[in-house]
Amino acid sequence: MSEITYLKPKNAKFFRNNNGFLGLKFNDVEYSRVNLIKAFPFSYENKFISVRDKEQNEIGIIEDISLFPEEVQKLFTEEIERRYYLPKITKIYSIKDEFGYSNWEVETNYGRRKFTIRRDPNNFVNIKANMILIIDVDGNRYEIPDYTKLDKKSFKKIELLL
Amino acid sequence: MKLLYKLPQDIETRIKEDGEQILCATPYDLEIQQPVNGFFVVTRSYFYIFKNKELIRKEKITRYKEYHHVLAVGFGHLEASNDEEETLLISFSMRHVNRYQSIATILNSIVENHVPKIVSDDEENNCPKCGRPYRFGSRVCRHCLNKKVVFKRLYTIIKPYLLPLFLSLFLMWSITGINLVTPTLHRILVNDYLTPKNKNLTAILLIIGGIGLCSLANTVINVIKNRLMIKVSASITYDLRQTVYTKIQSLSISYIENRKTGELMNRITGDTNRVQHFISNEISIGITQLLTLVVVTILLLVLNWKMALFILIPVPFIILYFRFMNQTFRSMYHSQWRISDRANSLLHDILSGIRVVKAFGMEEKEVSRFSKISKTLSDVTANNEKRYNTIFPFLNYLMGIGSFFILYYGGSLILKEKLQLGDLIQFTQYSQLIYGPLGWLTFFPRSFTNALTATERIFEILEEEPKVKNLAPETNLPIEGNVKVDHVTFGYRPYDPVLKDINLEVKPGEMIGLVGHSGAGKSTMINLIMRLYDVDEGKILIDNRDIKEINQKDLRSQMGVVLQETFLFAGTIYQNIVYARPNATLEEVIKAAKIANAHDFIMKLPDAYDTRIGEKGVRLSGGEKQRIAIARAILNNPKILILDEATASVDTETEYIIQEALGRLIKDRTTFAIAHRLSTLRNATKLIVLDKGKVIEYGTHDELLKKQGKYYQLVMAQKELTKTRE
Repeated sequence: MSEITYLKPKNAKFFRNNNGFLGLKFNDVEYSRVNLIKAFPFSYENKFISVRDKEQNEIGIIEDISLFPEEVQKLFTEEIERRYYLPKITKIYSIKDEFGYSNWEVETNYGRRKFTIRRDPNNFVNIKANMILIIDVDGNRYEIPDYTKLDKKSFKKIELLL
Repeated sequence: MKLLYKLPQDIETRIKEDGEQILCATPYDLEIQQPVNGFFVVTRSYFYIFKNKELIRKEKITRYKEYHHVLAVGFGHLEASNDEEETLLISFSMRHVNRYQSIATILNSIVENHVPKIVSDDEENNCPKCGRPYRFGSRVCRHCLNKKVVFKRLYTIIKPYLLPLFLSLFLMWSITGINLVTPTLHRILVNDYLTPKNKNLTAILLIIGGIGLCSLANTVINVIKNRLMIKVSASITYDLRQTVYTKIQSLSISYIENRKTGELMNRITGDTNRVQHFISNEISIGITQLLTLVVVTILLLVLNWKMALFILIPVPFIILYFRFMNQTFRSMYHSQWRISDRANSLLHDILSGIRVVKAFGMEEKEVSRFSKISKTLSDVTANNEKRYNTIFPFLNYLMGIGSFFILYYGGSLILKEKLQLGDLIQFTQYSQLIYGPLGWLTFFPRSFTNALTATERIFEILEEEPKVKNLAPETNLPIEGNVKVDHVTFGYRPYDPVLKDINLEVKPGEMIGLVGHSGAGKSTMINLIMRLYDVDEGKILIDNRDIKEINQKDLRSQMGVVLQETFLFAGTIYQNIVYARPNATLEEVIKAAKIANAHDFIMKLPDAYDTRIGEKGVRLSGGEKQRIAIARAILNNPKILILDEATASVDTETEYIIQEALGRLIKDRTTFAIAHRLSTLRNATKLIVLDKGKVIEYGTHDELLKKQGKYYQLVMAQKELTKTRE
């Protein structure tokens, strides 16, 4: 039970199934669709990724994505993009406070966004050093990967929140 | 929650070309990770996906067997599948998650050939007009508030207090009047009598006396006004709270369960306070301040318009500066509050986990963690205080700067004998009167909006109609205990039925055991029999009367309930037992406790029945609480008894004692019992096995065992479990 089953390029063949989803052949068993779940989504994005079947039973763990050939890595990225969505904030245009809420307008790697967060420490979380996770009123999440790397104007705007 | 959005014209015409009727039309905003603008449209037989107004997919709904709402991390997808295919239809951000949950259910019910009900009870989190999020726990948008309507409402609250409010307003105006008179007296004193030319000591004394009298009158009126206002505010608060609280108690459980306890408490205490404060303070003060401002400005201009300009010109700047500083200070103190909050929760965390800290020998690490945050807090606090104490004195200085100019200008006029010393003094005193109202006015819009929103929130509750209506008059007719469930269908959300077409007939004195997996609908069934909710279809009859036609008080007074989570109120054991029937005799109370097997353990407590329980009293074990709850239920001598997992949270031995008590309790009563331990239900007259909202088996324990169906499986599984545990 406590043993970790590692999926390696040798024993685990990943493929794209007929419907475009990620499949796996492992130990002579074919799984038509598998899910990838990161064990450390913030601290080690590409390490220890659990591979699970439709019923969410763990088939095994990928220790590091980079152990697999590039075309397989591409499949992984596709699947991970279906499971994880976290726009990265690259620039902050404005933060306006309004009745216990703050309205943000930012640039992300997916384009310009406007969102509102409720002023509550749980919506502005320091997960690891210099990284901030922001959760808006709808439950959407945004990440500032490293606030020390923001431009000066942007940093000034969040300085008081840190 | 909105499931039918207004579609752009092109899309609508495109669907009309197919002759289809639109059931749902909802926006989606992602294509896997890329932002897009799209619409997902459901009709009776098709679904359509539009991306930027262009049709990219149209499919027969029945092409797929099942539609899934997939919640990923940070967003969600709508997927569809049949035996061979699986496909991702659309993706959406968290804003639409609940919407597509409903859409998936609707699509699935179309597949199953049901006619779906397109209603969604989930509430929107954003204002439908402007899209801004609602404030926490409220459905009132501060931007789209109809001020006229709210004013009318505010007026209905104020109406009973108009007289004292006018009186206080009058008193305040007299204070203002007196304040305006005093500088004039000063002027007369200085100009006419403080000169060697006119040696009239009596007149001086008279004027000083006048000034003194003004000051005394000022004080006395102030005291009277304050005492009056305190009385008025207290009764406004009392009345408002009473109204809101009574209303909340009368509302159906569905309304209350949909809201957090803290939210309702905030309505009863916070919002009422805000409205009270506004009525008793802001309105009268506001009118007075405004009046003072206008009168003083006119007076200054009339007295000497040139000197008045010295005072009035800096005013806009001062207001702007005030507002700016206000914002800065707010965010400054906000961050200080955040850090202090963090330090406190860290402290709380460590102290409550102190055993773990010590067990792992981590004391030093924890000390340094706390000292780090303490240091930050002390730095930030010191910094803020320094800034505050630097800025404010200078602000005061700036506000007074106009008076230097006046002194200079006025002084030069005096030298030219164009102005008398007394006039200058009067002028300076008036100019001091202008700053108070100014400072106050800068904060007024904020407290005004606060009060309007609070009013609106209070009315949100006051205007809510209870969903379960109590229309029948009270009759005190006794109930025999005949219960008939007739083709009942019910769901907490209308499109998602939890119980489907349930039929059941129970005679007085019978015990019905409800069996099934969690989520099968057992508790829902009980909620319906208690009429905490009204059925969607069908009827529930008690003694051949529809329960909707029985007065709720009549109904509940003849029902006894023992729940898994026993709730006892803070108070004595005695008070808790007589909760539902305060006029019970002591003999009845002890008898009830004996039937509940509670008497003996109660008598072992030093204060026996007068033992205080609850937060500040003796802690009782789960089994003991349960037995008190049973005594409470039985004291009412209910004809219908409801036991919802009454023995789930106690150990086997206690369960035996409770079982014994329950055995006595159910005699001659119609009983509905839910229990996970199936052995508990052995004595039931009939057992109902529920699965996914339907009755799948019905019969006695022995009949169902013979049948070897679902009940048999459940019994066997539990036997296995007990074996492995032993």
